[in-house]
Amino acid sequence: MPHTDAAAVALARDGDSEAFHSLVERHSRAVYRLAYRMTGTPQDAEDVVQETFLRAYKQLGRFESRANFGTWLHRIAVNCSIDLIRSRPHREAALDLPDLEQFGATTERTDTSGATPERLMLSTEVQERIGTAMSGLSSMERAAFMLRHFEGHSIEEISQSLGLKTNATKHSIFRAVRKMRVALEPFVADA
Amino acid sequence: MTTHLNEDDLVLHYYGELDSEASTRAQQHLGICAECRRNHTRLQRVMAAVDAMPDPVLPDGYERIVWARLQPDLSSPSGWRAWLSFSPARLAWMAAILVLVSGAFFAGRMTKPQTAATQVVSADQVRQQILLAALSEHLDKSQTMLIDLVTADGDDVVDVSTERDRATDLVAANRLYRQSAAATGEAGVAELLDQLEELLVELAASPDKLSSEEINSVRQRIDSNGLLFKVRVLSSTVRERQKQQIRTRSAAL
Repeated sequence: MPHTDAAAVALARDGDSEAFHSLVERHSRAVYRLAYRMTGTPQDAEDVVQETFLRAYKQLGRFESRANFGTWLHRIAVNCSIDLIRSRPHREAALDLPDLEQFGATTERTDTSGATPERLMLSTEVQERIGTAMSGLSSMERAAFMLRHFEGHSIEEISQSLGLKTNATKHSIFRAVRKMRVALEPFVADA
Repeated sequence: MTTHLNEDDLVLHYYGELDSEASTRAQQHLGICAECRRNHTRLQRVMAAVDAMPDPVLPDGYERIVWARLQPDLSSPSGWRAWLSFSPARLAWMAAILVLVSGAFFAGRMTKPQTAATQVVSADQVRQQILLAALSEHLDKSQTMLIDLVTADGDDVVDVSTERDRATDLVAANRLYRQSAAATGEAGVAELLDQLEELLVELAASPDKLSSEEINSVRQRIDSNGLLFKVRVLSSTVRERQKQQIRTRSAAL
């Protein structure tokens, strides 16, 4: 197995499938994590992982050997996720804000006195709340929010990627953030 | 900025999306307004909590599963030579395309003049029929492989190399059918094909021989999911749909 990504890419370009195998071994988990964040379902994430490595394999010739393979693959995975999200009719229903607000209001807050913010953030309850809030996002809200929050893309870039108008992108991000606040503020407000 | 910052302004400010003038005004306002500062701090805390979003849990050997799914697609030669290698999935699509083309041709030649709408409906029916036939064949092959696996003999170790090779052949086609089912809103079919694919992928990545414990675990999985039974039911449902389509077409002619 080649020791570095660069060596593996060079061999894979010459048709060495074992070298490409080593790249899959090193990067598939990271690609899955990104794909899952972007798409929100294990099945879609699997499809994105598959498509990402297929595209990478086909485009190995275009990869600049001085670049970082992980970063390049990450970009392909983001594009594959966006393609998948854009190809779907927006039929899945996101939780409406009133639903989430009710959810936020009715959930009993854990006694957080004495807990540090770090401990709070790692608590199972908070993580579950994040998961619930995330599942309440529509696919566009999720994608726009993930691209802005985790990938650091600008609203302008996200609008272009997702094929939305700037205001629609902003609106998606605002709604996503509002849902996060409703779900998580009770835990972090006075921490 | 003398007016309060609303929630949206705070979000734009947090992400550095305000223009420089608005950003300066927001910063100045936060310096003098305790209420907005409190809101801003809350937003920062919520965002920090979002950063702690847990990663999905992946099984041990996940990389092996990804590779087993990928390998059939990577091994095929690129360019025009790819069309000389006939994977089951490619065969299914080629058959669909061929029949569509010839169906459209014969529809034009052999039948009475039709309206454009009728022709579209007819081509769509032909396409569905071909896909149903391909899916039916795929389910039959999968069913036979599962039965062979469940009934495989062996004392300490069981040779599953034949089943593994068959599973490898079935993975790519299964994926294609699952995606088609999901895209056309056949959620139940997609879910079952997903379960089947999970097993096919694991089998495709397995060694030549499995210990009796390993093979028992595979059998238990097939039993506990009722996978074989579900595949049988789907197979007969698909066949029934095929018959129905043929009847509908005959009645329409």
